[in-house]
Amino acid sequence: MKKILGIALALLLVAGFSYADKTKVRWYVGLGSGGDAPTVVVEKKVVEDFNKSQNDIELTLDVVANAAAYNTLTTQIAGGNAPDVVGPVGIRGRDSFKGAWADLEPLVKKYKYDLSQYDKAMVDFYRTEGQGLVGLPYAIYPSFLYVNRALFKEAGIPLPPQKFGQPYVDENGKSKPWDQNTLREVAMKLTVDATGKTPNDKGFDPAKIVQFGFGQQYGDFRGTATLFGAGSLVAKDGKTAQIPANWVAYHKWMYDAMWKDYFYPNFAYANSDLLNKTDLFASQHIGMALVHLWYAGFADIKKMDWDLAVTPSYNGKTTAKMHADTFEITRYSKNQDASFKVISYLMASQDLLKAYGGMPAKKAEQATFLDGFAKSKFPDNKVNWQVVTDSVAYPDNPNHESWMPSFQETSDRYTITYNKLASEKGLNVDDELAKLKADLNKIFKAAK
Amino acid sequence: MMETTRTTYSVKKANRLKTAGITAAVIACLGLFLMPLGYGIATALKSPDQAASSEFRVLPLSPAQVQHNGEKWDLYKVPMADGSVKTLAMVQKGRQMSTFADPANLDTPPIEWKGNWRTLTPELQLDPQWSNFVTSWQAIDFVNLLKNTLLYAGVSTFGILLSSSFVAYGFARFRFPGKNLAFVLVLATMILPNMITLIPTYTFFFSIGWVGSWLPLLVPAFFANGFNIFLLRQFFMGIPRELDEAAKIDGAGPLRTLYQVILPQAVPALVAAGLFNFFYCWNDYFLPLIYLAGHPALYPISVGLSAFSTQYVIYPYLVQSASILASLLPIIIFFFTRRFFMEGVVLAGVDK
Amino acid sequence: MKLRTNQQERSERRWGLFFIAPWIIGFLAFNIAPMIASLGFTFTNYNPANPDKTQFIGLTQWIRAFTEDPETYPAILKTLVFSAICLPITFGTALAVAMVLNSKRLLGKSLFQTLFFLPTMIPTIAAALIWTGILNSQTGWVNVFIEKLTGFHAVGSDGIPWTTSPYLIYFTYSLVSLWGMGNTMIIFLAGLQNISVELYEAADIDGAGWWAQLRRITLPMLSPVIFFNLVIALIGLLQYFAVPFTLNQGRGLGFPDGASNFLAVDFYAQSFAFANMGYGAVLAWVIFLFGLAFSLLLFWSQKKWVYYGGEK
Repeated sequence: MKKILGIALALLLVAGFSYADKTKVRWYVGLGSGGDAPTVVVEKKVVEDFNKSQNDIELTLDVVANAAAYNTLTTQIAGGNAPDVVGPVGIRGRDSFKGAWADLEPLVKKYKYDLSQYDKAMVDFYRTEGQGLVGLPYAIYPSFLYVNRALFKEAGIPLPPQKFGQPYVDENGKSKPWDQNTLREVAMKLTVDATGKTPNDKGFDPAKIVQFGFGQQYGDFRGTATLFGAGSLVAKDGKTAQIPANWVAYHKWMYDAMWKDYFYPNFAYANSDLLNKTDLFASQHIGMALVHLWYAGFADIKKMDWDLAVTPSYNGKTTAKMHADTFEITRYSKNQDASFKVISYLMASQDLLKAYGGMPAKKAEQATFLDGFAKSKFPDNKVNWQVVTDSVAYPDNPNHESWMPSFQETSDRYTITYNKLASEKGLNVDDELAKLKADLNKIFKAAK
Repeated sequence: MMETTRTTYSVKKANRLKTAGITAAVIACLGLFLMPLGYGIATALKSPDQAASSEFRVLPLSPAQVQHNGEKWDLYKVPMADGSVKTLAMVQKGRQMSTFADPANLDTPPIEWKGNWRTLTPELQLDPQWSNFVTSWQAIDFVNLLKNTLLYAGVSTFGILLSSSFVAYGFARFRFPGKNLAFVLVLATMILPNMITLIPTYTFFFSIGWVGSWLPLLVPAFFANGFNIFLLRQFFMGIPRELDEAAKIDGAGPLRTLYQVILPQAVPALVAAGLFNFFYCWNDYFLPLIYLAGHPALYPISVGLSAFSTQYVIYPYLVQSASILASLLPIIIFFFTRRFFMEGVVLAGVDK
Repeated sequence: MKLRTNQQERSERRWGLFFIAPWIIGFLAFNIAPMIASLGFTFTNYNPANPDKTQFIGLTQWIRAFTEDPETYPAILKTLVFSAICLPITFGTALAVAMVLNSKRLLGKSLFQTLFFLPTMIPTIAAALIWTGILNSQTGWVNVFIEKLTGFHAVGSDGIPWTTSPYLIYFTYSLVSLWGMGNTMIIFLAGLQNISVELYEAADIDGAGWWAQLRRITLPMLSPVIFFNLVIALIGLLQYFAVPFTLNQGRGLGFPDGASNFLAVDFYAQSFAFANMGYGAVLAWVIFLFGLAFSLLLFWSQKKWVYYGGEK
């Protein structure tokens, strides 16, 4: 096996020397976003422009559908055909290929890339133990509530607050703090069954719900729990599994929300045609959906009457979980210098950032970005975009996608619990979480 | 052909009843069997709003609408206080009270109606989204995808049939040392999950520069594969040796025997193997994806379709319409080749 | 009775090897090195994302599979249990349908054959969407139709949970696999069509009924094909991966609650998802050993029940 690899690498080197004219850099898209049709058009144009702008580097684009992107990249790396630049990639993608990324620190020094234009915390976010600086802050996606104004109007209740710290004033003029309890009340008013009854009415039929109050879209076990505050499944010693108390509280709250109060769609509902097969908000059958900024980048919601609102607090603290994307260079790339030039170019492209729907990590550019984004994607919708900027100040630290031992296996295991809680009524949440913790400990112990 | 069975009137009648019964049973089973396909077609004709309708609907139905000052209002059947049911346009929905307008006279003051609007039935009309087919045709470069897929499936099937019948003949009709071991190895190539050999195979193809082209998928087809060797061997072993010996007396060598005696007898098996392989290649997704990554001009339909789906968003109605378009061609091919070969088989059976 | 001369034997040998030569060449060029390499993986800690850090570690992975990993034996059990459920359903139905479609008493045979084969032509992505769509316990067609036709409370999370119940899921997978039975059926059809019509006519004259004809003519004459389909089906069930994988997209491998963690799924999870390809290779070879054992068993048994018309 090593011999074959050796031959392959040798051939590659020879091939590399014979193509003396232009350095070839291959850009691999698909681990994160960037794979959908309208975005690919923009990516292709950026590649064209880059190639036209200089004569030393030839950039090629590989777009792979996300469902197969992980396998394909694994095969390419293992087969000796690793791409040079990979991105946009989030933390999940990065950790799934731990050890495959190049340390950018020497390149940053060599090309005098100015790191001071970013928040120090953001830069440190990309520094990992033993691997150096694997990426540069590029795009951030805060999260917030997408609210369906039409449904609120039909229910006759006011929208949630759009500024952090503001209370919620209900239809009777009563003022309440905007926390998870108020969220629950509002969501229950928005949930209706086929005959128009809410869970507060007698005769409400949970088997015939046609509209839900609140849901977290595309979330997972950790991400959704972050509504009640940041946390980590890995204890401070880096080796033992834990489930933080606020996360236990969240999953109990969510379980009741699905099976007692019925305002949160359970697994079957979320995957049904009624809710557009997990695309909850665009189905127009949910009042409030908690998602990230990237959703506005591609969601089919232009025709809807929608707005944004801030996430509710828990025990006095508000958390708006954050996603971050970046471009990374593989350790196996033969042209790391050229690749660095490529990613500097890609990161500077405003068109590309707009296509991904990401906020620039550079503070100075955030305001202008939002204006441009809103004008190009939603010129006719009256949306309060200030919510986006404000939400940047409440990231979850540690991030809900941060590293865990045996990342993929651990994610798979907690996804099983997450889906089980969403599929079965009458479970004991504490028991399921205890089982999860025990299994996670086993996985962590076996991890090298 | 001589009629050897007596066919009285009562026997004929019983036969006709049997035919009707069996045909009816088959139609019923077929209905159940193809019901999922019905879902696929129904989804292909729906818009996202129709698919996400809160009422269960099989057909693509939309509420009829009227336009007024740039706003579109749905029409509902509203029971009025005097007992009649009028069709009105919904202006504003409300839990306890909704406002409607008279569709015939949209400028008159809105009518208030007390009650829960969800108990009203909308005025539905059939609204199939044929445009879905147009959209998916344009979004995917269908002609190119079809061409690629046809080439892949066609060349591969041809190569497989050619080489596998060759090899199967060897296993079926000849004795040679190591035959059993060789056959075990043939099986072994089928038993080991091919995902585990993926990376070493990919490394090999990459080292000879075939990655990024169709070669890793087409060339191995000309060296036979386990499934077809096994299948054809079974059939060949069922053909009576007398036919071989008759040919030998006529002075035929093994090759002539293969092409003039064995293959004509095994036409149904060859058709089955051919169809099986053709559609396997038609639907083959993972290997073309791995070897053609980054060369969209070479993609077959399966890989091209996957470009529609991303982690975050799936447009099921578009994927369904694209899939139906992608399935139409093989259906037509299949329907006509079945007829063609069926006739050949009937003739062969009669001549025996 | 001709005596076979040495020359004839030698000639037969040479021709035999000549005919299987294409496969030998292909095997040596494309199969043998990867197969040996995959066996080699089992003795290393090969991680495909970091291939250059591979180290030889002897039998550690094999020991881990059989003594340390709590998932191995359950995976084997799940695979066997599922095979026991799925095989009769798909096999039996394919055979029955093929026999009906070959019947003289059927109008429009060609059309029906096409229609039953139709689902195998649907691209996998579409099929996955279709099945997750109609099996949804809340809005899926299956539950809605069951409730409308029989009044049985099937809709809703407390209705029939096709894809979320660890108990029903094997039956569900069998149904989905049944949809793709067109291939097996076509091969049975080919076998049925190869049975000489005269045999049936002779039986009719002798007064044999439908059941006797089935037992004495159809099944024995079909036995080579049944044998083939059986071996193929068994191998396929041991490698069963595609259906659970596509239906579980995004829901975690092994969903629901680990029930779909078959050997091949566990193999894929370990090799590609968790990047422990050295360990995953062991699972692949466990599949291989089981498959080989079952195939050899079947081959040994064929003397007892398979009739080859062309053998002396």
